[in-house]
Amino acid sequence: MTEASTHHIRFTLNGSEVSADVKANDTLLNVLREQLGYTGTKRGCETGECGACTVLVDGKAVNACLILAPKVDGRAIQTIEGLAKGAELHPLQKAFIEEGALQCGFCGPGMLMSAKALLDEIPNPTEDQVRRGISGNICRCTGYAKIVKAIMKASRQMARVGGEGA
Amino acid sequence: MKKRGRGMACMYYPLGFTSYPNPSAAFAKYNPDGSATVLTGAQDIGQGSGTVLAQIAADTLGIPYDRISLIYGDTQAVPMDAGSVASRVTYIAGNAVKKACEQAKSILLDVAADMLGVLPHGLDVADGWVYLKDFPEKRVAIADVAKTAEVGRGRPAQGHGTYNPATTLLDKETGHGKPYEAFVYAAQVAEVEVDTETGEVEVLKIYAVHDCGKAINPMMVEGQIEGGIAMGIGYGLTENLVIEKGHVLNPQLANYIVPTALDVPPIESAIVEIPEPKGPFGAKGIGEPSLLPTAPAILNAIYDAVGVRIRDLPATPEKILAELEKLEKEKAK
Repeated sequence: MTEASTHHIRFTLNGSEVSADVKANDTLLNVLREQLGYTGTKRGCETGECGACTVLVDGKAVNACLILAPKVDGRAIQTIEGLAKGAELHPLQKAFIEEGALQCGFCGPGMLMSAKALLDEIPNPTEDQVRRGISGNICRCTGYAKIVKAIMKASRQMARVGGEGA
Repeated sequence: MKKRGRGMACMYYPLGFTSYPNPSAAFAKYNPDGSATVLTGAQDIGQGSGTVLAQIAADTLGIPYDRISLIYGDTQAVPMDAGSVASRVTYIAGNAVKKACEQAKSILLDVAADMLGVLPHGLDVADGWVYLKDFPEKRVAIADVAKTAEVGRGRPAQGHGTYNPATTLLDKETGHGKPYEAFVYAAQVAEVEVDTETGEVEVLKIYAVHDCGKAINPMMVEGQIEGGIAMGIGYGLTENLVIEKGHVLNPQLANYIVPTALDVPPIESAIVEIPEPKGPFGAKGIGEPSLLPTAPAILNAIYDAVGVRIRDLPATPEKILAELEKLEKEKAK
């Protein structure tokens, strides 16, 4: 069936409704970067090994290069572009800057999305849990030390802000 | 059985090669609003050279860091640079930026001296002001001096600088000579745990002490050390490019194993600042030196833990098991 090669999909992207016409074999990564212009999600190995393309699908960290676009129909996608609230950076982004957790920065967007998924699930992780949480994201230049430190710092800050709100 | 061991390795590393020309060039100008523009050919590839060069410029020009606009990356617009290689950028490009800024500053001080009715050598710059060294209350804003220099005197406060460590060819007969201008030193200690049944090595901790001259940005020096150590762990234990008849047989991250956050242990690093007289503000460099001692420290730690010497990198479980077996056979004799 020729019409089966194209799918009209709708999903929420960083809270807004979007729709796109995608091919059955299009990856979410391609649709985000090439069709919708969300280039914050990085194209790394394209085989699910490096984690540079990590986005959240219904709150769960996935490699956007491995998920077919038709599969995200009706689901909620979060990318690095949706992490800050307007001009207000997310505590993770602030902590990454303060701790010098980015060097070349290529792993940054994926690293931050994995960290967000981790803190959403485990708000006060141990260092080992943080390392496990980002173990699917390869960084070639920082040695991870400052990334781990930044995620721990953000978790403490988010706990404090959350505590004040309660 | 899991056995623990500790190993150490030291290194020295040369910076600023002199066996052939090694130049960096820069341009700097004060702007009439009190900011400054600095052009450098040195490319920031994530190591933070842009930050370091802007810090050097800010300190030399006497204006705040956030008022420096550093321009790089466009070869049509920026001066020449030999490249972001050889751990040379802070040292060589830093010197070029400093010289360019010093030239701009000397014009600024000339004009300010004229405005204040004093001699230029009695003046200095800091925090956006030109001030009299013996009487700091007597001062004039850099913005005003820069404006006067341009509009009133027709002498824009700008400068250019080139740094090229004196080229000294090596003796063709003996190969002797002085191939580098400066050297850095470091020592690292690795603590490992070796599984004698599987041959697997877990790195538990790395201690790293590095001399980099004056650390212009200590946090970024630490970042370079930590990144180098991660590469050193890969070099020592997992990374192995397999080439057969011109083909790379493991071109993927699934079979060319780069350390993940779980493979890199906590790192404790310390910086030893031995100022280099020829470096900008005494700085030398840190990039490549950070990864050099890691693999030999790990190999020494493996020897300390289980008594086998691995002489072929990476030290894979297969190689360690083979050596352990040899050791057992020798003991049985």
